[in-house]
Amino acid sequence: MKSPFAYQPRPLPLQMASPTAAVAYLGAIVAIAFLYSNPLVLLAAGAAVVTAGLLAGARRAVRVALKMGAALALLIVAVNALVVSRGETVLARLGDWPLLGKVDITLEAIVAGASGGLRAAVAMIAAAVYSACVDPDRVLRVLRPLAGRSALTATLVSRLVPVTAADAGRLRDAARLRGPGAAEVGKAPLARRLLAGSLDRAVDVAATLELRGYSLDAPRARNRRSRSRYDRRFYAVSALVLSAAVVGKAMGADDFQAYPAVEIGFGPETVGVAAVVSVSGFAPLRGRVSSLFGIAEQKRHPEAARV
Amino acid sequence: MSEMAIRRGAAPALTVERLSYAYPHASSSALADISLEVAPGEFALLAGRSASGKSTLLKAACGLVPHFHGGEIEGEVRVADLDAIAAGPGELAAAVGYVAQDPETQVVSTTVAAEIELPLEMRGDEPADRARAVEEVALALAIPHLLDRTVDTLSGGELQRVALAAALVTRPRLILLDEPTSQLDPVAGDELIWLLRRLNEEWGVAVLLAEHRLERCLAAADRVVAMDGGRISFDGAASAFLTWARDADPALETPAARLFSLVGIDPLPTGVREARQTLRGMGIAHPPNRASRRVSDPHPSDPAREFVFRSKGLWVELDRGEEMRDVLKGIDLTINRGERVALMGRNGAGKSTLLRTAAGMHEPVAGKVDVDSIALLTQNPGDYLVRERVGDELPGEEGAVALRVVGLEAKADADPRDLSGGERQRLALAIALAGRMEGETLPGVVALDEPTRGMDRARKADLVALISRLAEVSSLSPTGGNNSTGAAVVVATHDVEFAAEFAERVVLLGDGVVIADGPSADVLSGGWYFATEVARVLDLPGVVTPENGAAALAGEERQ
Repeated sequence: MKSPFAYQPRPLPLQMASPTAAVAYLGAIVAIAFLYSNPLVLLAAGAAVVTAGLLAGARRAVRVALKMGAALALLIVAVNALVVSRGETVLARLGDWPLLGKVDITLEAIVAGASGGLRAAVAMIAAAVYSACVDPDRVLRVLRPLAGRSALTATLVSRLVPVTAADAGRLRDAARLRGPGAAEVGKAPLARRLLAGSLDRAVDVAATLELRGYSLDAPRARNRRSRSRYDRRFYAVSALVLSAAVVGKAMGADDFQAYPAVEIGFGPETVGVAAVVSVSGFAPLRGRVSSLFGIAEQKRHPEAARV
Repeated sequence: MSEMAIRRGAAPALTVERLSYAYPHASSSALADISLEVAPGEFALLAGRSASGKSTLLKAACGLVPHFHGGEIEGEVRVADLDAIAAGPGELAAAVGYVAQDPETQVVSTTVAAEIELPLEMRGDEPADRARAVEEVALALAIPHLLDRTVDTLSGGELQRVALAAALVTRPRLILLDEPTSQLDPVAGDELIWLLRRLNEEWGVAVLLAEHRLERCLAAADRVVAMDGGRISFDGAASAFLTWARDADPALETPAARLFSLVGIDPLPTGVREARQTLRGMGIAHPPNRASRRVSDPHPSDPAREFVFRSKGLWVELDRGEEMRDVLKGIDLTINRGERVALMGRNGAGKSTLLRTAAGMHEPVAGKVDVDSIALLTQNPGDYLVRERVGDELPGEEGAVALRVVGLEAKADADPRDLSGGERQRLALAIALAGRMEGETLPGVVALDEPTRGMDRARKADLVALISRLAEVSSLSPTGGNNSTGAAVVVATHDVEFAAEFAERVVLLGDGVVIADGPSADVLSGGWYFATEVARVLDLPGVVTPENGAAALAGEERQ
């Protein structure tokens, strides 16, 4: 079965956009997740990237990334709760632990961990949407002027995720087929083997790229499909949300404090930024964005609108 | 030299002079004092056992060695008058094409059209020129229908053709191929060799082809270069090579040549046609014997043996990227304990899917499958190896027993990555069998999926011996063991000569259905593609190996 993270060509805006436009759009949402700590804005960023993935047809990639992101977020919450004992609201006193010392579970540490976990989950889902929706062939061509002498760099950027996803499936299958007398496949050895194997395979692919003349100093070839009509939309949306986020931050929209007591701001600036960020998830909508509100239909069929 | 002169073929396609090379951190040289010249338009075959230096020589000819692999190199390599050691693979791309053994590592694009177009785009060609070149090479390789497909939906054979198209699209003077048929079924393998011959004749492309299954390509070659331990041990015409191999390295003999050697007929044949002509000249000729050949009936179950695999109306559907497809279509099959079964068929016929379904990795959509228990070794043994020490993969007494069974007890402290290809495969088999080597725990079925890829004949003989042991004894433990029946061993393979050596029964799949099932001697002598070379030469029912071919010819002479 094909990996959920493997690129699937579809006649949809995010797939048809140039890689730089798609990266600008998804990167803007991830940047906001790292710029803000307020859970409302982080949730809005998560909603935006999930909506974008679903509208781009990457349903399986979003579903798997959501599961992985939730697991990662829970791990961050658990570790933060155990390691950080700051905060006024103590939920449980777990006594002295080896290495960790006195462990108090506080509401504040849990909320701070949740904020960090949400941020990591947003980045993970965005990476999954990128992998499933952005054509690695076009990424390779975009990278050539930037990494023209290094096929390996280009391969790692454009191919590592699909290669790793395919290898992970095969390694999982092989792990199921081991005899009862063989050593159990632990997660750490499997992860090490997966990384080493994926890098080896990326090196093989890079060798092929060298053989195809990737590092030649030839003039850049003209391409039949270098731009898309959706590029401007993605650039505009990314500029808009980033501007709104920066201005909002300056106006205090990132009103959040975990310690000593949790304070989450829900002021109009925060709600406004969250609204803009969440609506940005509709950018990959097919057709005109205005059609979402019925404007395009009225323009195209004015008589129907009159009736 | 001007480009025009190069195009006309004035310079040799490849010149290698006193080339020696060692990989980084290697204790010995992979190539030692190699000198070789390939003329424009020549078809040369590189023969030799595993690790003899064939792949390294090809990599040196395309610039990957030393540019990509590093290491120490001495001597000179020139491709179409370009200094390959100084230039590197990028600059050589216009003059030389390279196709490696594993097609999956040779595709860097998402769609077939983009993959073939990439070298032209890297060279800066205009879109119209690129479109024409892609169309022409696709027509030459009979793949225009694949151009819009994504590469992950292609079969191994299709992928290999796409890799060849990407290597040929720049019209190189020299094409290098490293065991390109190792993953192909006999039909696709034969097609690829004759396609290369046609490109060689019509386009004037020089071909340097490394291959283990020499019987497939010897007849197409102008010349054979044999390698041993990084040195050239023979360089000459194909017929002279066979005479040399008979005396110097019988493991390199083709089955037809071995048949002639056993009977004492000279000259040794380079292919089926030549063998038949020689036999006809000696008055030993058979008319096509189709009337007497029965079509194999479904293999009757032996009631004396306990069945360990049974499928009834088995349908399996898989996601092939763009759509769901029925891969198995109502398979009825029974396999008994102790049977040695070759599962054959074209790429995509459903062989691997059947084995994976038996191992519980795919759920049937209809019908049922009943398996006693199964140990499955998939196509990539490396997937089973996750630790950095062999002994850590197989700890304790059960692990030690498993290592002894596959003959790797002395390698317990080695890093699996340092093992040879054959040793890695045996280690993976030991991992799959560990803890179920005796009595009740012994699996009913031991299944191997394409285990002979990249193996030379000596390693295949070792595998045949291991398969026999698995099928014949009910305890694999060195302390146990008796002569009662062991596991059923089912091997999915494209290698007809290997199947003739190990299998007592062949099940031939075609597009998800069983199209032939019978004793291996019947099935492997009853066709053209899924038949051994000896069967194609003699066309006698039940005669598939050089040994029983020689016996049949001896009987003919007595009559």
